Amino acid sequence: MRYHSQSFFYDDPWSIVSLAYFLRYPNPFASHIISCDVISRNVTPSGTLQTTRLILKRGSLPRWAPKGIISRAESWTLEESEVDPLGKTLRCTTKNLEFTKVMKMEESVFIRQTQDGKTAQTTEARVLSGFGWGLTKRIESHGLNKFKAHVQRSREGVSLILNLLRESRLQPMTLGGDSSQLHVTPAAVESKNTPKTQPSTWARMKGWFSPPKE
Amino acid sequence: MAESLASECTPLKKEYDSCFNAWFEGYLEPAVSASSSPEKYSEYSQRKAEEFEQKCGKIWEGYRACVQKALKEKGLDIMLQQSREENPMNRPPPLPPSSSSS
Repeated sequence: MRYHSQSFFYDDPWSIVSLAYFLRYPNPFASHIISCDVISRNVTPSGTLQTTRLILKRGSLPRWAPKGIISRAESWTLEESEVDPLGKTLRCTTKNLEFTKVMKMEESVFIRQTQDGKTAQTTEARVLSGFGWGLTKRIESHGLNKFKAHVQRSREGVSLILNLLRESRLQPMTLGGDSSQLHVTPAAVESKNTPKTQPSTWARMKGWFSPPKE
Repeated sequence: MAESLASECTPLKKEYDSCFNAWFEGYLEPAVSASSSPEKYSEYSQRKAEEFEQKCGKIWEGYRACVQKALKEKGLDIMLQQSREENPMNRPPPLPPSSSSS
């Protein structure tokens, strides 16, 4: 088993970072995300929000990967998260559902508010391969290296969404609206009761935040 | 908002995501402070949950039904079941007691 942990800070408050984290797909740094669905979600008696998402990711196989073991480069992962808005923490665990005999990989993200109103994120990874044939170490190292690169990209993706959220707060009129997303969901527009157009995420975003007071 | 695993569910998913995100933004900034009594907070989160049900409940049911059907058709429900059996800890570990920011 290999373990790796990494921490960093955001200058923004916890609630915005958490919102950005939930909104992170799609972003240009996550082009490997093919689909993402909520399969269960509930508010617990203690007021936290638990969510399970099923995500299909496109992965690339290392060149030395034995042929035929993994038949395709797409794989299903399960993401389980719990948000506590009172304690200002977000916990999110992602693990692969397939090829677990070759490699089990579990990523845990913990996002919390710091004393000075900033936000800290800790990301941990556990990689376990039971493959054998002298490849265990190699598979685990590969998994870990992939993870390190992934953390960086994931961070850039969240930062990008954070920027958009920040901008939408400062300049509520300049974002969204004419996004091409407006035109890609004709099926959504068909249903009778929905508004005539489905605003894009960003168009909606601007409405979520009140204009700056300063 | 990425695509759904089944293209027929994608419009429902986008509608649901929009509804959820609007609710979620408010949920992340509770109108009660961490120092208020647990009863008060419990009452608040109850109200928040009801608000979600009222605003997005119907949309969620439609989206959920669509995805559940697709999961069965693709045989993914079995994979999910197996992962739960393999690892009964199918929930993130409990949160540490909220830091007492008195």
